[in-house]
Amino acid sequence: MIRHSPLSRALQILMGLFLLFLYGPTITILILSFQGPQGGLTFPLKDASLHWFASLFEVQRVGDFGGSLKRSLILAVLVMFVNVLIAVPAGMALRKGFRGARTLFWLTIASLIVPSILVSLGIGLLFSQTGLGTSWYTSAFGAHLTWTLPFGVLIMIGVFARLNPAYEEAAVDAGATRWQTFRHVTFPIILPNVVGVMLFGFSLSYDEMPRTVLAGGAYNTLPLEIYAMTNNVTTPVLYALGSLTTLVSFAVIATALVLMSIARRRTGGGAALSKPSEET
Amino acid sequence: MRAAPSPSLHGRFDRLLPYLQIAPLALVLFVFLLIPLALIVVVSFWDYDSFRVIPAFVTFNYTEMLGSPTIWRTMWSTVQFTLITLAITGALGFAVAYYIAFYVRSPVMKTIFFMACTIPFLTSNIIRMISWVPFLGRNGLINSMLMDIGLTAEPLDFLLYSRFAVVLVYVYLFTLFMVTPLFNAMSRIDRSIIEAAVDAGASPLQIMFRVVLPLTKTGFAIGSVFVITLVMGDFVTVRLMGGGQSASTGLLITNQISCCNILPPAPMRSCSSSW
Amino acid sequence: MPNKDVELVSLTKRFGASTAVNAIDLQIAEASYCCLLGPSGCGKSTTLRMIAGHEDASSGDILVQGRQVTHQPPSQRGTAMMFQSYALFPHLDARDNVAFSLRMRGIGKAERNRKAQELLELVEMQDYLSRRPHELSGGQQQRVALARALVNEPSVLLLDEPLSALDPFLRIRMREELKRFQRDLGITFIHVTHSQDEALALGDQVVVMQSGEIRQSGTAREVFETPANEFVARFIGGHNILVSDRGPVSVRADHLRLAPGAAPVPAEARALTGTVGAVEYQGSRVRVTVAEDAADRRHVAELEDRAFFAAPYALGAQVQLSWMPADEHPLAAAGG
Repeated sequence: MIRHSPLSRALQILMGLFLLFLYGPTITILILSFQGPQGGLTFPLKDASLHWFASLFEVQRVGDFGGSLKRSLILAVLVMFVNVLIAVPAGMALRKGFRGARTLFWLTIASLIVPSILVSLGIGLLFSQTGLGTSWYTSAFGAHLTWTLPFGVLIMIGVFARLNPAYEEAAVDAGATRWQTFRHVTFPIILPNVVGVMLFGFSLSYDEMPRTVLAGGAYNTLPLEIYAMTNNVTTPVLYALGSLTTLVSFAVIATALVLMSIARRRTGGGAALSKPSEET
Repeated sequence: MRAAPSPSLHGRFDRLLPYLQIAPLALVLFVFLLIPLALIVVVSFWDYDSFRVIPAFVTFNYTEMLGSPTIWRTMWSTVQFTLITLAITGALGFAVAYYIAFYVRSPVMKTIFFMACTIPFLTSNIIRMISWVPFLGRNGLINSMLMDIGLTAEPLDFLLYSRFAVVLVYVYLFTLFMVTPLFNAMSRIDRSIIEAAVDAGASPLQIMFRVVLPLTKTGFAIGSVFVITLVMGDFVTVRLMGGGQSASTGLLITNQISCCNILPPAPMRSCSSSW
Repeated sequence: MPNKDVELVSLTKRFGASTAVNAIDLQIAEASYCCLLGPSGCGKSTTLRMIAGHEDASSGDILVQGRQVTHQPPSQRGTAMMFQSYALFPHLDARDNVAFSLRMRGIGKAERNRKAQELLELVEMQDYLSRRPHELSGGQQQRVALARALVNEPSVLLLDEPLSALDPFLRIRMREELKRFQRDLGITFIHVTHSQDEALALGDQVVVMQSGEIRQSGTAREVFETPANEFVARFIGGHNILVSDRGPVSVRADHLRLAPGAAPVPAEARALTGTVGAVEYQGSRVRVTVAEDAADRRHVAELEDRAFFAAPYALGAQVQLSWMPADEHPLAAAGG
């Protein structure tokens, strides 16, 4: 193919720099979060310690870290399950086709690209004007779904487009009911992708901030808490918080990847999800 | 859609099933997207005083806004941010996607590189913004490095809390929205097309710009939609990295909301900024 | 046809405005091997899928062993389908694939494993019980798919392009196996294919379809020896469409004789002149394509290799094509 030219060398260097650009800052704050009690927001690292991690859990000093983390985790788990429970059937419906399918598809796209601040403002208005009041588990929950669902639905559309209908027909041929077909054939085949949708649901909710800002209610989620902290906290405790949050994210991503590869190995490396050319 | 299986247990339930399956999605999008957006449009025409919004049709929210030079300046600034970010993420995203798609041979390495580019998307944006502080600050890594090698005598002030910082973080956060659709578009290009171009004597640069670039237009279109809407709607980056030096429409909306206590001036501004 | 396993009566399938299958009537004898043959888009797969119950018929009837099944669910028709690329469940091993329908019916594990093992022994796959589909070769997958289709003891097995996923050598071997299974099991196989060789090799009955209609149905020899119309003659291959005083006729390529331009022609033979346009060596035979002088038509003569090389023809040579009236087979009007 196209190898060994000045271009390939240049692109290789660019790729390396890009990865450094992507991960360098994260690694830096990971290091700086071990700053000693006297240390500042930047290098040098004065006496590495766990000081700032410890101070995270003192409520008075840095706001409500524990509470906001708990709220964010509960909300993320909730969004993860509701997201997948809505996205999978929606993908099946869009695969079959129905009156209004196009509208719903474009509405889903709209949900993805409408500026987050507008969604947040609108939901905030709706919940305050109707007297329901905003809170992290009602209005913010809905706001998060508007952000996670497009990813879930688009992933499922892609999956079902590649799923050979012959598997389900073979199940029907064998006398399986509609539910048995889903439970014993469709679901095991799409399982790796379902895990992927869950990963997106959890992560996007856990880190969501622009759509939560006006719809979050009295108690902050973790990203909102961090956003608030940037106003008045000028110590490396911010880095400790950042490192911890990022660690949670990475743990979730790693778990999901492991689960996906286990599920994928069971079905032969995802080969099942490639449709043969169609014949009438 | 003929591809879907048509088990022959036909009947009413069969025809009803897709509607039942789509209903939850439709409900969520109706309640949390359509109604809220409609509400913003409606409220933008309402009157208000310092305590509440008054449901009476007025247009002065708009006339007031259109007559304000601050608003126009802010919008212009937002457009500038958008165009600069679009250009940089487009070029960078194309180069990165091109490298992964055409120069990384093993499928495993391809996956690893691609995931390396997308995983940050699943971590906290705000933390990722904050992680630039130790680099860009007055006493940050870049300034101390520049002074150590004697390039500058004084620390550079424009690095943090500036338009430069805002654009840098936009590129940092949003390039993967270009990489993903471009990589997808490139993966779909038949390898034999590239081989045919090589046979025809095309140089690596010619292949990149004359063959691959035209075939990835849709990728650019999708990536651009993401970058444009993300930059246009942003307020967090501008506030955190701009340090009050720079403005954006998104920030203006949040400021309006927080300083007025009540909502109206913000909604109509957002209507005009979301084209 | 006294005992029919499958009978189609005026069976029609419309997709929106287009008609995929247009009021076809077909009878398939008990315990026979029937091939549905035609180019892609001719409606053969749609017909098969309607018999299986995976496609609803727009109108008409489907009878299996005299029983009306048009509106029955697939599993209650007495048919079983073997899918193109087999559609073996990727997450289940060979045994669980075969036992799948027993499991759906709530049959206990011991019983269904015993039955699955029995069927896998029948197809000589007993050594691969716990292999997943992606760990099996194409031929092995086909056998597992066959075992899975047979588990409910269908009276009709429907095969959708079953050999198309295999390489040419394996294809011929599996073809023999399919025929052997059909004979041993004594049930009807309906096999969809676009390959003439496959249909002729396998079919007790060959049904040629085009544009959603049946152009000819008969034994393999009938279809090859006496194609009913121009379409069948062209599609089945090895025929020339010629014009005689009886109208359009087909003459098999190996019944055409070739002679140098000036040679005398036997009294009763018919002849035309032309130039050699192409010569293709095919091993035991040589195909000579002749462009007719009098009209813009090309004909193919198949000569035995020894005969050809005894007196070879060069490209561009003037030749005379001749055939005996006894070898002519009259055709119905084109498209008829």
